[in-house]
Order: sequence, then C-alpha cells, then structure tokens
Amino acid sequence: MERIPQNSVSLAVTEPDLTAPVVFFPIRHHSPVCAWQLRRLIEAYGPSCILVEGPENANGLLPILTDPATELPAALYYFYHDKKKRLSDEGRGYSCYYPFVYASPEHTALTVGRGNGVPAYFIDLPYHDILLHTKDANGLRRDQERHSYTDDSHLTSAAFYKAVCEKTGVRSFEELWEKRFEIGGLRLEPGAFVRLMLTDCLIARELTPPDVLEADGTLVREQHMAFRIREAMAVHPRVLVVTGGFHTPALMERIQKKEKDVHMASVPADQQGCYVIPYSYEAADALRGYASGMPHPGYYDRIYQTMTVRGTAEGVYADVGLALLTETAKACSEKDLPLSIADVTAAWTAAQGLAALRDSTAPGYAEIADGVTSAMVKGELTAASSLPLRLLSAAATGTGMGRIGDRSHVPPLVQDFERACAKYRLKIATIVPADAETALFTSERELEKSRFFHRMRMLETGFAERKAGPDLHGSRDRSRVRELWRYARTPAVDAALIDHTTDGQTLAEACRGTASRRIAASGRSGTAAHVMVDCFLAGITLAPEDVAKTERLLAEDGDFFSLGEGLHAFDMLYDLRTLYGFEDPAVRQYLERCFSKLIVLVPTMGAVQPEQAGACIKILRALFGTAGRTLPHRMDELRTALEALAGAPQKEPSVHGAAMGLLYAIEPSRLADAERAMRGYLQGAASYRKQGALYLKGLFETARDIALTDTAFIRMTDELLAGMDTDDLMEVLPSLRLAFSCFAPQETQTIADAVAALHGLRADRILWEKAADEALAAFGAEVDAAVFRVLRQEDVIPERSDAP
Amino acid sequence: MEQHLIKPPVEQRCADELAFLKETDTGRRPENWQLSPKAVRTFILGGTVKAADGRSMDIPRKFYGNDALVERCIITLAGSRGLMLVGEPGTAKTMLSELLSAAICGTSTNTVQGTAGTTEDMIKYSWNYALLLAKGPCREALVPSPLLIGMERGIFARFEEITRTPAEIQDSLISVMSDQILNIPELGDEGLVFARPGFNIIGTANTRDKGVNEMSGALKRRFNFETVAPVGDVRLEREIILREATDLARAGHIDCPVDEDVAELLAVTYHELREGITDTGKLIEKPAAVMSTAEAVSVYFQTLCHAWYYGDGTMELPVLTENLLGAVCKESTDDLARLRSYFQTAVKDKSTREGGIWKEYLKTASVLR
Repeated sequence: MERIPQNSVSLAVTEPDLTAPVVFFPIRHHSPVCAWQLRRLIEAYGPSCILVEGPENANGLLPILTDPATELPAALYYFYHDKKKRLSDEGRGYSCYYPFVYASPEHTALTVGRGNGVPAYFIDLPYHDILLHTKDANGLRRDQERHSYTDDSHLTSAAFYKAVCEKTGVRSFEELWEKRFEIGGLRLEPGAFVRLMLTDCLIARELTPPDVLEADGTLVREQHMAFRIREAMAVHPRVLVVTGGFHTPALMERIQKKEKDVHMASVPADQQGCYVIPYSYEAADALRGYASGMPHPGYYDRIYQTMTVRGTAEGVYADVGLALLTETAKACSEKDLPLSIADVTAAWTAAQGLAALRDSTAPGYAEIADGVTSAMVKGELTAASSLPLRLLSAAATGTGMGRIGDRSHVPPLVQDFERACAKYRLKIATIVPADAETALFTSERELEKSRFFHRMRMLETGFAERKAGPDLHGSRDRSRVRELWRYARTPAVDAALIDHTTDGQTLAEACRGTASRRIAASGRSGTAAHVMVDCFLAGITLAPEDVAKTERLLAEDGDFFSLGEGLHAFDMLYDLRTLYGFEDPAVRQYLERCFSKLIVLVPTMGAVQPEQAGACIKILRALFGTAGRTLPHRMDELRTALEALAGAPQKEPSVHGAAMGLLYAIEPSRLADAERAMRGYLQGAASYRKQGALYLKGLFETARDIALTDTAFIRMTDELLAGMDTDDLMEVLPSLRLAFSCFAPQETQTIADAVAALHGLRADRILWEKAADEALAAFGAEVDAAVFRVLRQEDVIPERSDAP
Repeated sequence: MEQHLIKPPVEQRCADELAFLKETDTGRRPENWQLSPKAVRTFILGGTVKAADGRSMDIPRKFYGNDALVERCIITLAGSRGLMLVGEPGTAKTMLSELLSAAICGTSTNTVQGTAGTTEDMIKYSWNYALLLAKGPCREALVPSPLLIGMERGIFARFEEITRTPAEIQDSLISVMSDQILNIPELGDEGLVFARPGFNIIGTANTRDKGVNEMSGALKRRFNFETVAPVGDVRLEREIILREATDLARAGHIDCPVDEDVAELLAVTYHELREGITDTGKLIEKPAAVMSTAEAVSVYFQTLCHAWYYGDGTMELPVLTENLLGAVCKESTDDLARLRSYFQTAVKDKSTREGGIWKEYLKTASVLR
C-alpha cells in the first residue's frame, strides 16, 4: 500500500465479521468484480435481508427489474414535476435515470435476494426528497441535460486518486481501478476485497469537504439510509447493506448513532413517480459524460456474465479480451481497413506483455487498447488513423438495448409505441439507427406508418428524423410521394414518452395533449397553423375546447401576415384532405375565419412597407386562390376589398399592381383599369415613372397572362424604358428583371417576339449581338494598325503612343 | 566521472544506473536482453531500486509525458515487430530510442542515419575495397552495416529519420524483418546471416517529413507505430528545460545557477505558441517554426551561456528574447509578426495580471525587430 498517503487517515478498516448482525458491502456501480464478490459474500453470510442504495419510491418496481424475462440494460426512470415551485420559480420537471447492467452489484443483490427468498429493497430517500434536500446546481440538480442517480464522481475524481495515478504513471482513474480492483480484486477473498474497497473509499471520503456533501444532499441521504438500516436490523438477524463505497464508511458510523429520520415531503402521486424502462449500453457508458458507473459497460458485462456462467473468474479476462480484439479486427475489415491475423496476434501479444509489465494477472481494457494502438494503428496516431481504437471502444461499449419482461408494468404510452413499432416492423432492439420508407399514398397502412413517425416527432422524442419527403410546414417538395425516416430507439425515447404519460395513454392522446399545450402557448394564427399542420400529419383532431381556443385565437389576431400564414396552411390542409385521407372538420372553419379577417384588412395594405410587399402579394394571391377553389361565394367580398385597396390614396406600387392583376383575373373586362394605372405611372413625375417597374412586378405576379394576351402592356413597358435616361434605367433594372422573372422560357420568347415586332425586327435580333467574324476582326485590327502607322509617320500622334 | 566528450552515449553516461539495475534485476528477460522489461521501464521512467543487501539507488526519470507509450515500446521490442517512433521534431524520439537501446542492448550507437543520400549498402553491408581486391569477397573484406551488426550480435539497430531515405532503400529492410535473414551472395554458402535473438529495429520518423518518402504498406506492416506527442504540461516542460540545461551546463563546465522563473517563462511561451492558445483562452497565431521542448532547451542554454561568458552569471531576459527570436524566426518572416503579436497579447496580459518577471519580459519586446 505504499501508493496511498497513509498519514491522511487512521485506517481502522477490517474485514467484515460474517457473524455480525449487519455487514456492509461497498460497491462501485456497474463493476463486475463488486458484483462477483458480492455474490460470493452473500453465499458466505446468508443474509436475512438485503438493503440496497436506491430511491425507495421504486421499491414496488423491483420485481420487474429482477424478473428473469427482463433483459438488461434497463433503468429506473424517476421524475418529479415541481408544480408547487418548491425548487424554483419555474416549476419545471426533473428526472433522472438509475441504470442497471448485468454487472451492476445492485442488480446482483436484488436478484440473488429474490432467488433466495430474502427481502431485498432500496433504502435511499425518494427521488423528489433527494431533490428537495439538494442545493441548486449541486448533485442531481446540476445544470446538465441528463442526470444519473449512480453518479460516482466523488470517487472517480477524488484528489488522492489523481495523485496516485500521477505517482504510478497510470493514465487515469479508470485504468487504476481496472488494474487494482477489477482484475486484482478477483484474486481476493470477499472479506479481503471489502477491506480493500473500504480503505480506498474511506480516503476518498475523508478528502471530500463536508460542505460539498451537505450541498449535494449526501449527508441527508445517509441519515435516511442509516435510519432504514436500523429499522431492518430491528427485524432481521443478518442484514447486508449494499451501497456505493463512498457512503459505506459514513453509514457504518451513522448506524451507531440514534439519529431521527429525515423529514420527507408529501408529494401527490401525479407529480412524482418512477418507471422501469429499457436502457442501452451506450447510455450506460460513463464515458458519455454522466459519471455513472464504469466505462465500456458492454465489455464488463461480458466479463461478469462469463464469470457467472463458468462459475469461476479464471481466464475470463483473457478470453473476453481476445474475443474483443477479434471483433475489432472484423469491424475494421468491414470499414475497409483490412487487418490480418498477424495484427490481432501482435496486438494480443502486446496486451499480454503489457499486463505482465504492469504486474497485472491478465490484460484489461487498458492493455487491449494499448495493444491495438501498437499493432493496429499504422503510421502517426491521428483522428483518421485511430479508427481501430474507435471501433474497439464502440465494441466495448456495446450496442444492445434492454427489454422489460413484465409488460403489464410498461407505461401505456411506451406499450403503444412498441405496438406500433411491431406493427410496422421497425427495429428497436438496438440503438443503431435504421431507415424506413413510407410510400405515402399507396395504402392506408403506409399513411398510418407515416402518422406514427409524425406523432413521435410531435412528441419530441428524438425517435425519428425525416430525411426526405413532402415538407408541409415549409411548403416544399409537396409533390413527393415517399418519406424517408431514420430512426433509433434510445433510452431518451422512452424517457420522453414517460414524460408525456400525463398527456394520455396512447400516442394519439399524448399528441392531442401536446397540441393543446402548444395552442394555449401560441399567440398568433401562424403558430397555431403550424400546430394544425403537425396534427394533420399525425392524424390528430383537436379536442373541442382546443378548437374553440384556436377559433378565439384567430378571432383575436389582427396581424395580416400571421393570418396570411394561417390561411395558407389551412387552405393547404383543406386541399390535401382527400389525398392524405384525413379531414379535420375544424379546418374549414379556421379557413373561413382567416379569410374573413384578411378581407377586412386588405384595403389597408396599400400602406404596407416595401420590404413586406412581397409577403403581402403572396397573401393576396392566396386569398384569390382560396376564394376560387374553396369559397367561391366570397369572391365578391374579395373583389370589393381589392377595389378599396386599389382606390386607396397611397399605395405601394407592387401591391397596387398585384391588386389590379387580381381584379383583372376576377373580371377580365377590367384590363383597361390596369392599363390606365400603368399609364398613370408612365406619365407621372420622374419618381412615379420609376415605380412603374414595381407596379409591373406586382401585376405580373398575380396576372402574368396580361402580358401574353394583350400587347398594350408590352408597348407601355417599351415606352417606359425608352423614356428613361441611363441612370434611372439602372435604378429600376433590378425590379424589372424581377418582374419578368415570373415568366417561363416559352413565355419570355413570346414577349420577345412581341417587343421585336414593335420595332419591326425579328426576335433573335434583339436577344443578343452576333459574335464578330474572326476574319473580319483580324482585318479591322490590320486597318487600325495601318491607320496609326500613317498617323505616326505624319507626326499626328507621338511615336510612343499606346495605340496599335 | 570526468567528461571528455560533447555528448557521451547513454550507456556511458548512465553506466552506474545500468550496472545497478542489472545487478538487482530479478525479472524475466527476453533472450539477449541486458535487463528485464520492468528494469528497462525503471531506467527510463525512474524509480527507486533496492538491492538485496540494503543498498538502493534513485534512478531519475529520463522520458516525460507518456508512461504507457514507453511500456508499449518495450513490449513491442520484445516481440517480432520493429518499433517506429513518429512525431513532431524535438519530441525526444531519438532520445527514447537511445534509452531503449542502451538499456536493452547495452549500446545505443548501432545506428543508421537516414538521409536523402542513404544507399542500400549503408543499410546492409559494403566492402573494404583494398581487402576485396587483395583477398576477394571474404568476411574480412566485408564492412557490416549497423543492421548486420545487430543481426549478428542480437542487438538493436537504430534507423534514424527513416522517411528521409528513398522508399526503395527503406524497403530493403522488409526481407530482413520478415525472414530475419540477410543474404550476402558474394560470400557464397557462407553468405547467409541469421539474426540472433534480441535483434530488432527501432526507427524514428519526423511527421513534418510526411509525404517526402512515405513508407510502403509492406514496411509499415512490419513495424508497430508509436506517436510521440509534444509535452502537454507546462510544469513538465519547465522541469525538462531545467534538467536538460543543467546537464548541458555541467558538460560544458558552466558553473552558473539555473533560473527557475526564466525556465517557467520559456516553457509557457513555447507551450502557448505551440498550442495557439493562451492560458486565458485567447487565440494566438502559431509560428511555422518547430516549437519543440528541445528548441526551448536550446534557447535556455544559449541564454545561460551568454550569462556565463559575457555577464555576471545572471540570466538576462533581453538575451533570452533575442535567442527566442533566432529560434522562432527561421522558416518564415511571418513568424516575427507572430512572435511580436504574442508579446502584445499574451505577454502583455500576463504582465498586467501577474507582474514581476512577465513585466520585465514584456519590456524586451523591443528586441523583436
């Protein structure tokens, strides 16, 4: 023990007395050696009760977790909705995972307890009580995306371990742990192993400042756990306590005191709870940044499972390590990096040699990784050349996903999700992303499959991402008939579904609840319209109260553009109802409501800001389209509104042009009005003449056939251009180009023909200049040179002039 | 021991340590190795060695930064593949190769220096032409290369800067490494030289030369590669500068105390310029020049020499900055601007925050012209 600063604490650590009424077993989460030695100690001690560190509000779920039909990794998912705002003014939700793999000693304790018919249960404070006793930004209230109950950062980041690593030249805590405990600990008897664990944990504990323990709730949790241990000791003659090694020394001390229990909060059942969910090795990997147990859980799980199957730890590290190397070489070959048997042999020899050099009885992950670095990485170690190391790490992490055995305890929403996945034959047994295609309009089943994906997207589960397909939100690619989805079931999907549990029992109900919340939170028709598009894609109709809420929202919205967004969306949904086989009767209502509101606002749009003119014209066109297709009885209202707009004293010229174009479209006999307005711009002051181009732009956007059926506009445009000086022309040129950009090539040709005819020419004469004949150009150059030669000879120009 | 050489080989400099390690070494050792792998590690990474009779010796650490790399190197050399050390210039690849050779074979001088002019006979064997003419092809007339010596004696052959050698010359190693045999056809039946146990090759290659003479895939397969990275820890770099400068001063009979603050200053400067970021996270432009620890040692030692021969034995910061200028502004004139900009941002920042020597250091910026 020369590596440990012996003077820091007095080590009154002894092996556990297996005749005592209570035995403490310190563990590290997901550690196979702890699980293995714990199994042996249980056999030797024969406890009448096993107490395990874990929030006790999950005790009812332990039979599911230990059910032989449950496949690990699985996790307990705890949540708490802070509706009473005890933690912060936001009143937000909190959640955390308690993951289990086969190598988790807690799982071993619970399953062996179950197998032996011994009560085995959790003794920590319920999750919400832990939160209520934790200071903000500490422990499980740290500001991070995901929390793990099995956070062992107190142990892994202990300062003394850093010192030990530095002194012994070991690269990290994990390498030290593997060598000292995982491999070294297998040679020890359970009692000696407990002593070794306690020694290190005691030092880590002593070196952690009490204020840190106070702030992250450790002390309160230990007070409660000690209380539960004393309770159990009063009933059972032999109590085994399995807790994180960091807590064990404190608990051993605390049970000697007669402390009261912690005051626990009363939180209604709908605001807190727990579920067993399938978990993945990838999420359980400590390297993912949540400091929750060991890294590479897949590898260590194989170690533990091999030990339990064989009944001995002998040779397990060597066999699993070699298998891992072979898999890595195979994975490299699949990635076009061929590795030979000689490379695997060299890596394995190196790993074994390094283990011997490092006084380890077998190569662990650190040695295997070193072997791969030596023998499989060719050339300089860079991000590109380290592919074998990345593949090794991925193989050691594992890609498997757990499964819950007792289906009756799976949250209904998750069940509904799994049913749908089974129905559509989606691969959810792994976290590796897969692709699925939906041929939207081939069958009702395909549409339903698409709706399922959209429901998962609407619930923000992160399950699926659409890679291709019609985008109704952005009104893009609407002609596509297939959707391509990439999906993967990760633990976060289950967690997100559980978070929606209060919204309903099925995905459809949950989506309805989500839509309801989103509508309540939206203050504009535009936002509500997007919710409706989501509902349409997901095949959801709103609850009557939400329909009323949306109606009210539209009625109260006075923003022309937001209402325009709504009109566009509702019109599209109404239009697509047959194609998508889904109709929400409320959509027609909303459409009419938006139409009515917009009609009232149209006459005021003459004063629109130039930068909003484009959006305004789009809405005017949408109004015309809606009136033409869906609401023909309201065409007169639109005409009246457009007339009012055209008659307004001040008008943005392009909006004016658009209004005139629409009026012409409604009543072709009004062509003369449009011409008159154009002439007004042409014959007006210089500033108005320039606006003529914008007017044309608006006009062509709404009624471009006006230029094709009547030459008056072509003539007027020609006059407009001819009457401008170069500067003015340059100023209006961009608008003019834009105005004519709406024409198709064939139409542009027709206009060109008309313009050419005005000047008595053929169209091809005005489109471009013909390239000069090469011989002619050469002749011209010769003539030039001859002329200048003569001019120089005559001293008309100086001898050294730049001319040819 | 009195030094008569500029740079005595490792086995001579550390003869006492190697002898003590050999005496106390009880570990298993591969055939023909002078020390067991564990003792080799102790020799390179340092430690206290105790003899059975109670004597003990503190072996100083000679290679800093990555202990696992050293362990991998030792294990590779015990196997059938060669060891190829690659990395930026000045990352102590050669030193590590010398240490490994000295500890394992007792000699670090069996070396081929790779250059653009290296030929196959420098790698395999050549002839003493006078003897060849006089006696014809015979062993006496043969001039063995370090590779041949290594094979015959069961020791390592070191191949420095292998990628500076043309690829077809490099490839002459392939057959030797595959078959552990070298054929000298001129010697007829006696021309087959079989490698003895203990023979291996340690190559070094500079990543800045990458692409000059890229190694063939076939040759790469016969080596295990180890990438030696620059020292990432400023504290460590400071220690290396001090230790190396002290050794150089002792060898040069310069009896002048080393200045720890100056070493730290230089370590920080080199570290930040190499990484392109200051301790406060400010981004700075990296010079094109090699900013290795070896360069830092050289700058420091030059400054120390200046203090010894021209000054009163105290290291002067303006001299340090002048030497720094000479070391950095070699490859590109832009490096002067980069160095100046480093003084204007990072050094200025530190002089405001920390004052003291950094303030003095900032004043020397005027020599950067």
